[in-house]
This record gives sequence, C-alpha cells and structure tokens, in this order.
Amino acid sequence: MLARMRCLLLLVVCALAVNACTPVRAWERGQLARTEMAWDADGLESALNDHIFFSKEASSGGNSAAGGGCGCN
Amino acid sequence: MATVLTLRHSLQSTIAILAISIGSSALAAEAGEQAPNFTLPSIHAEQPAIALEGLRGKTVYVDFWASWCAPCLKSLPLYNAMYHKYKDQGFEIVAINVDNPVEDGLDFLLDTPLDFLIPSDPDGVTAELFEVIGMPTSYLIAPDGTVKMVHMGFRDGDMELIEEEVIKLLADN
Repeated sequence: MLARMRCLLLLVVCALAVNACTPVRAWERGQLARTEMAWDADGLESALNDHIFFSKEASSGGNSAAGGGCGCN
Repeated sequence: MATVLTLRHSLQSTIAILAISIGSSALAAEAGEQAPNFTLPSIHAEQPAIALEGLRGKTVYVDFWASWCAPCLKSLPLYNAMYHKYKDQGFEIVAINVDNPVEDGLDFLLDTPLDFLIPSDPDGVTAELFEVIGMPTSYLIAPDGTVKMVHMGFRDGDMELIEEEVIKLLADN
C-alpha cells in the first residue's frame, strides 16, 4: 500500500516536472509575430467576410459598419 | 515507524526532483558572474565560427537580437557606431541573432550592414544558456570573462548609459 502511494507521489511529481505548459521564451516570440499567427491573417479577406456576414444575417453594427442589413451596402 | 520512514523517503525524493527542476536556472548570466562560454557559427556562412573564449582579453558586448524585435533594430546601428569608436581600444561586439529562419536576420543585414561579429543562434541554445528573458538583452563582459552589466530592452537614453559603462570598463583594463 505504502509502496503504491510512494510510486503515485513520484509519478505526480514527475508529471508536474515535465508538464506541457512550456512558456514561450524571449527568443521564440518571433513566431507569435508572424502574420499567420494573427487573428485576421488577411485584412482584406476578413473585411470581405464581415461584409458578407452582416449582409446575409440581415444585421449590422457588430462589425463597425453602417447599414440596414439590406445587402446593398 | 516504517510508515514514517517511507513517507520521509518519498518527501526526500520529491524535494530532490524539485531541486533539479529549479536548479537549471542557476546558469543565468548575471552581473559579477562568469559569462557562459559559447561557440556559434557566423550568420554569414563564409565567415568562421565565433567563440566567446576566443575573445578573452577584450572587452566584449554581447547582444541578443532578432529582426522581429523593433528596439533591437533601433539599437544595432548605434552599436555599430560605438564599435567603430572603441574597437582600437580592445572593444568587441558580438550580436547574437536568434531569428528562425536565419534568412530573416540576413534580410535585415542587407539593408543595415553591421561590422561587428554576428553569430547565429536559431535554436536559442546560447540564449537559453544566458537565460535571456526579454529582447533585446545585452551583457557587458570584462576581459577576464566576468559579466559587468546586464541590460534589457532599448529605450531613448539607454545608449548613453551603455556607452558610459563601456568607457568605464575600457579605462579599468
């Protein structure tokens, strides 16, 4: 029983020591600065998508664009 | 009794493992400590590898930079001017590029040629050794290999502070 507990404790500690939550090191931050890491990788494409979205949904205001949802703007 | 002993043993193992995990940070290059040695290839393929050990006897300014780091790009031309000003007094600058891919760093150097040593460390092995926690970080190293100053970031007015330290160290040696 005790041996099992000991083993379990060691396993927990090992799991903590090798956990996958690795911080992004200072020299790796360039990866975060890449365009493909941005929420909107392509500004033009996302603007077009927004336009189609609010036209089709007959709603507006959520994407900082004026209009009445007629699909004509 | 046996239970207590076994638990104590578990506790000791736990502490030992934790100590090993924490102990890895003891390598950081801090002021007053010996700078960790490194050998890195030059970013320019045709130039020889650069070793810190090979610069013993010189006052060395080691800087970690990358092309995506705006303050780094601001500092490098100023470092180039400082290098020309003091190189005859035994001053050397080693600007370690951590760009991955390396071509990003080379692209910047095409527009901004620099005359000091530029090793390439795309995997951050040396940056890890120095425990760099921000970009840019630079280390002023005395001729005996002791770190005299660690400087993180690059803001207006920093150049004067850095140059002051360089002059002081050159005068001492």
